[in-house]
Amino acid sequence: MTDSLSPLAARNATLGYGRVAISEGLDVDIPEGEFTVILGPNACGKSTLLKALARMLKPSAGQVLLDGKDIHSQPTRAVARRLGLLPQSPIAPDGITVADLVARGRYPHQGILRQWSAEDEKVVAEAMAATDVTELASRGVDELSGGQRQRVWIAMVLAQQTPLLLLDEPTTYLDITHQIEVLDLCAKLHREGQTLVAVLHDLNQAARYATHLIAMRDGAIVAEGAPVEILTAATVEKIFDLPCRIIDDPETGTPLVIPRAGPRDL
Amino acid sequence: MTRVQVDASDRKAPVIRFGDYSVRLRRRTAAAIGGTLLVLLAIAFWAASTGSFAMGFDRLWAALTMNGTTADEFIVWTVRLPRLVTGICVGACLGLAGVLFQTLSRNPLGSPDILGLTQGATTGALLSLILLGGSLATTSAFAALGALGTGLTIYLLTRGGDPSGYRLVLVGIGVAAILAGINGYLLTRTNTIDAFRAVYWLTGDLSGRDWDQAGAVAAVLAAGTIATCILVRGLDALRLGDATATALGVKVNGVQVAALITASVVTAGGVAVAGPLAFVALAAPHIAARLTGSSRSFLCAALVGALIVTAADAAAIVGIGERQLPTGVVTGVVGGIYLMWLLVTQRKKGVMP
Repeated sequence: MTDSLSPLAARNATLGYGRVAISEGLDVDIPEGEFTVILGPNACGKSTLLKALARMLKPSAGQVLLDGKDIHSQPTRAVARRLGLLPQSPIAPDGITVADLVARGRYPHQGILRQWSAEDEKVVAEAMAATDVTELASRGVDELSGGQRQRVWIAMVLAQQTPLLLLDEPTTYLDITHQIEVLDLCAKLHREGQTLVAVLHDLNQAARYATHLIAMRDGAIVAEGAPVEILTAATVEKIFDLPCRIIDDPETGTPLVIPRAGPRDL
Repeated sequence: MTRVQVDASDRKAPVIRFGDYSVRLRRRTAAAIGGTLLVLLAIAFWAASTGSFAMGFDRLWAALTMNGTTADEFIVWTVRLPRLVTGICVGACLGLAGVLFQTLSRNPLGSPDILGLTQGATTGALLSLILLGGSLATTSAFAALGALGTGLTIYLLTRGGDPSGYRLVLVGIGVAAILAGINGYLLTRTNTIDAFRAVYWLTGDLSGRDWDQAGAVAAVLAAGTIATCILVRGLDALRLGDATATALGVKVNGVQVAALITASVVTAGGVAVAGPLAFVALAAPHIAARLTGSSRSFLCAALVGALIVTAADAAAIVGIGERQLPTGVVTGVVGGIYLMWLLVTQRKKGVMP
């Protein structure tokens, strides 16, 4: 079963760790050119789904399709030129500089005797400019603030030059200013034509930035579509067991989820 | 006709391009490698001209170019050069093993001594000494088998899981503990003479090594170097974590297994010929990282290993109070002092630990 509409999809996929299945028979399509956000309560399988889409996790049944073909049957370097991933907690080697780390993103385009082409130079410079880290180029990654560091990692993934970009909780561990900074950057990349998939925790941020939402619960997809359609009081309660009201975000007009006040708060 | 171009726009790391091919040279790494090589050559020359049969540089040069006296040529070509070449190759093997294991385990203490390969080699050597009366050749072969067997055991025990990081270190420490127990048991079952020989082997020594051994360890080193050159880009990417490395298109498991095999083989080669020379595999990568200012230079780590062993062996030949020492006694002291000196002098520079 292949369809040419979505560049990345899961077909009847069973995902899990060892013998524990988190999701069974999952069908997902990542629409091209959209900023997709996967959301759901803790342990609902959203990170597992992202890992499977990024081929970090092999489905025990079913398939993940990249451009219509099983992702695990394609050469790993070829996949790395189509699909980039920023893991939840990436490791920066001690003492590495920003420029060096961003340059690592060129790996799938390089070889033993093709270590640093003029193209590599240009792409790395562009990736650093796009994420506004050019001034930090010679600084050590471990000296940076959390927000700066996350922008550097995004620059590294951008240097990989992939049409698809997967981000696993890119805003976790950041304060609110840096969260917005990272999401604004994602929105800018989306406007420039990049297909993005991110796992986010904050519903209101998801509503404001995503163009496509995938809501999960207990390993299954509960709702899928544009934020205005998905983020209704009924659906949010179904996903999170959280009674709430939905109002229009005064800044953007997107849905804003307001949890109902409990007896304690009254 | 393509020309070689040098793009020096990045002052720290100019790029040399030839048509579609390009190589990046970090200036500081190149300087560290060049410097280490020069010091290594200087010590090697000095070691070749000194010792109980001292000769000046002019006589050494004459002997090297086959213009010396028969005695000089004999001393240089059959005694000193094989020992020097063995020492250099053994040191390079251990340095390479150290940097491979440290990269693989993502642990600055990951070395063949911690992970049990040295203990495995010792078990092999002890079995040979006790059961077969062990000539140097059999002991070497058994030691190599012991190290390789330990590498294989670690591979099998970490298989299926993640053969890197904590798992590798913990499995290695467990294996090392078991082997240390076996080694202790074997030593108690020996007579005094065998026990003395065993302890001598355990210290590690380079005296009396001939061209056969030099050739064997040089071949192992060459194979290890080629394998490392192929693996180095993948290993570099692995420093970013398994997830990022996979995302970048590295066959993570393949690179890890190949690196584990390479590290085990070079350890086996080095330890088989010289015994478990203390501290070289552990210290060489750290010293190289401090010299190059980056933990990425595998070549520099190998050269530093060669330098430690050669310097230690030269010191061992000169000895203390006219008495020659086993090389292994000195490697720990030389490597340790050098590492301490670097740690103290570079404390404020914030280079990697």
